[in-house]
Amino acid sequence: MPSASSLPQISHLATLEPSSPSRAWLTAPHPTLPLLATCSSDKTVRIYSLTTFTLLSTITGGHKRSIRTCAWKPNLKGESVLATGSFDASVGIWRHYDNDMNPKPKDVLSGLDFDARDKAIADGGMGENGNADEDEDEEWRFAIVLDGHESEVKSVAWSAGGNLLATCSRDKSVWVWEEVGEDDYETVAVMQEHEGDVKCVAWHPGEELLASASYDDDVRLWREDVDDWGCCGVLRGHGSTVWCVGWEGEVPRVFGDVEVGREDMRGKWVERREGSGSRLMSCSDDLSIRVWRRRPKERVQQSRLSIIRSGSSEENWVEEVQLPKVHSRPIYAVAWSKSGRVVSTGGDGIVAVYEERWRKAGGDAESKDTKALEDGVDRSK
Amino acid sequence: GTVPPSAYLSDPFSPSSLSDSELSDDDNAEIEPIDEQEIYDLISPISDPEHPLTLGSLSVVNLPDIFLTPTFPERGSSSPLTTLTVLITPTITHCSLATVIGLGVRVRLEQALPPRFRVDVRIKEGTHSTADQVNRQLGDKERVAAALENGTLMGVLRKMLEGCESRAV
Repeated sequence: MPSASSLPQISHLATLEPSSPSRAWLTAPHPTLPLLATCSSDKTVRIYSLTTFTLLSTITGGHKRSIRTCAWKPNLKGESVLATGSFDASVGIWRHYDNDMNPKPKDVLSGLDFDARDKAIADGGMGENGNADEDEDEEWRFAIVLDGHESEVKSVAWSAGGNLLATCSRDKSVWVWEEVGEDDYETVAVMQEHEGDVKCVAWHPGEELLASASYDDDVRLWREDVDDWGCCGVLRGHGSTVWCVGWEGEVPRVFGDVEVGREDMRGKWVERREGSGSRLMSCSDDLSIRVWRRRPKERVQQSRLSIIRSGSSEENWVEEVQLPKVHSRPIYAVAWSKSGRVVSTGGDGIVAVYEERWRKAGGDAESKDTKALEDGVDRSK
Repeated sequence: GTVPPSAYLSDPFSPSSLSDSELSDDDNAEIEPIDEQEIYDLISPISDPEHPLTLGSLSVVNLPDIFLTPTFPERGSSSPLTTLTVLITPTITHCSLATVIGLGVRVRLEQALPPRFRVDVRIKEGTHSTADQVNRQLGDKERVAAALENGTLMGVLRKMLEGCESRAV
């Protein structure tokens, strides 16, 4: 393990202002543009620039209660679409033509042009129009409201392809919606196996496999089997509310060097990763963060006469490891970075970053160490 | 004194909402130690939702059931975060209003205390038939926030907190 002095440091980069006057429930970075959405109990979503750290626009007027969650639709060109979930039990879909959000080549050439680019974003492509404040908000158009949940919506998530939207609520249900046409969404599944509030939904980065986390202490996995969506796995182990689930990216990474003489570890690890695919992480009120791994299915030797389909859709997932204990209050959010690191935060205001390392001599070849890197930042909720 | 606007109640930890509230003077002040007696004085005048009696007089809240501990003991004075645990004793073991009472205590404390306090309100062990269920609801930030957006419930809470001084610690 690295000594404390060799740990990378995290420093404060910027404060996004003006901020909401009341609780900011969630922030969501845009999948491709340098934009960040924050949703708040003041019933608004604020869009900030991540190059100038200024407020670009404020989405208002759609929800009657706190906006708990939002998510950017991936795989779009020329337009941004944001889904919002509110304590008012509804889900909103909002659209915004990017226009100049995609910088022209000359803007990209120089970092100095970022200001101009953000101005263009703020103007919604209205050029020199000085009335940016009014125009920008109008550029966010309310497209459609998805009604169906009976109580507070807690989380919304787009599938990697962007065609499916998952939503979940205190009403214990998980819904999957499909975009079947322009501003036209169809309910493709309503899944009610959870026995408590569903706190979070998250899609596998490569498969149409959905994970949900609940007040009933369980994580469930869902997928479509022939024509029906259903639960294909229950991940049990947490001792209290599971607040958040996050998937490992498609390009995994283990940090540090494999010890000389132990090079076989890398091969074994890659082989196992190829068999299981992206892992899932969950964090809980029980102060633990768990990593779950799919156990690959044995290839079922099938008789040519058999008309039974090759196995059920049931997935076999096992707890692989628990991250080092850092938090002293409920852990509310966890995420896997594209570079392979993990970040968590919770009611204690700590932001902790972890990385997976090759185990030193004496360790099992398949095990990895995780180490908390840095913490700080009090008061964040 | 009455409960401040719900915008504040729904976000007791936000520094910006604090500056709009009666706590603004305390925001810049040095950290002053707050003891269990002061916590008791904050919550004992809360009225029972059913009776014209206070939680203190009904022994729903009791001084020995208030605990202040550093959230990060290993960090010493470098972390000002303090965990406040209040155990409440319902008057009867099947009291249907235990959650509302707990919520009233939590709201009162979050309203009156600086944001460095992490408030846990729980049912004292062995004093309520569905304590686990109540404790989980009281500890769930989303359920608490959603409850405070409920107009009917806020009306009940406002009435319970009428007897409390609005002045903060």
